[in-house]
Amino acid sequence: MSEFLEATFDKFIFRVKEEYLYHPDELWVDIQESYATVGLTDFLQKTKGDIIFLETIGLGTIIKQGEEIGKIETIKAVETLISPVSGKVVEINPEMEENPYIINEDPYKAGWIYRIEPANLESDKAVLLNAAEYFELMKQKVSREAKKLYG
Amino acid sequence: MELNVLSNRKVGIVSCSGEGIPEGTVCRLACRKVLGELKAHKTVTICLPLFIAGGEEERTFAKTFPTVTVDGCEKLCAAKATEMLSGKPAKSLVVSEILKKRGIAVPGKLRNFGDEEETAVNAVAEETAKAVDEVLGKG
Amino acid sequence: MDKKQKKVVVLPCSGIGKTFGSVARETAHELVESVRPGVTVLTCLPLLVINDPDARQLVTENPVITIDGCPKDCAKKSVESVGKKDFHTCRVVTFYSAHKDLKPEGVAPLNDAGLKLAKISAEELAATVDDLLKEEN
Repeated sequence: MSEFLEATFDKFIFRVKEEYLYHPDELWVDIQESYATVGLTDFLQKTKGDIIFLETIGLGTIIKQGEEIGKIETIKAVETLISPVSGKVVEINPEMEENPYIINEDPYKAGWIYRIEPANLESDKAVLLNAAEYFELMKQKVSREAKKLYG
Repeated sequence: MELNVLSNRKVGIVSCSGEGIPEGTVCRLACRKVLGELKAHKTVTICLPLFIAGGEEERTFAKTFPTVTVDGCEKLCAAKATEMLSGKPAKSLVVSEILKKRGIAVPGKLRNFGDEEETAVNAVAEETAKAVDEVLGKG
Repeated sequence: MDKKQKKVVVLPCSGIGKTFGSVARETAHELVESVRPGVTVLTCLPLLVINDPDARQLVTENPVITIDGCPKDCAKKSVESVGKKDFHTCRVVTFYSAHKDLKPEGVAPLNDAGLKLAKISAEELAATVDDLLKEEN
């Protein structure tokens, strides 16, 4: 059984990992016992392009859901990343400094960005989407992108 | 679960790399012209190097949808690699043959094309666009 | 018997889907045509995969520089696929990181900034060519 929901547009396959939760601004959350792991969705990394730089916030930063949690720079654009949860940043993926393109290679596993000690998970969940809900949202975004390209 | 968001049938365009020969540059420019202007809504870029190196999306597309390969020379890298890795292309064009048929001289340089060289590019782009229509017309 | 003078084989990815692929191609051409003519040679990545004997021999018997446009490293992988292990690899993004004022756009054709970036990248690779030739000849 696939661990992903998939939607295809031309040659592009957009994947949504089934066990995660999703913020509408394109960051995913994997809730574990003592922390939440956070990263970019496949849709975001594919549509923005190869990540050249990742700007992160510092270890120990207290962040609120919906606040800026960093930036990615690709050849196309600079994109602000929005935190999907509130809490304290307790770990940053050490690979990100040298190899941010790992996000493009494996956005849902090796390309994780932060581990956050959540402060307000139950109320944060009200904003987060499950995989099926996010998949519907993602398909709408893909259709909008297609209309922009092809009219 | 797989869902086609846009299910319009499209054609994958596979250009050769064509290093070091003017026909390679013609091939590349012509294919981009087809992809970006002439048949923008009906074609998809298949990056040959990525296709060769194992690009999942390129190979899956080429297995599912028809491809038109455009090669700079008789070595037919794009056509052969496509057939080897995904399936026989629906149409296989060769720049040198197109130019010969149209009586257009092969450009004398590899880069910095001007109006003279654009004639060759346009001829190949037109033939490629025609090939796309023929492939899609076959249903 | 004279030992045949080696040349450095330059292999760009020439990816057609991304602007960095075009920069890789342009860098390779600039290096071979202008910066180090006569001691470098181009070959096509797909020729290795379709088992062209001349291309395979060229790559296996000479020093190689691969120039990749993106982290997919297609040129590097193609050279590795013919069994070559020891060769120089680079990515366009490394050159771009040092020259961010030159933002490449377009694929074919490439914009002026992309052409300038390619020129600078080729000049920076000249030292690598010289080192590889020193080791070989």
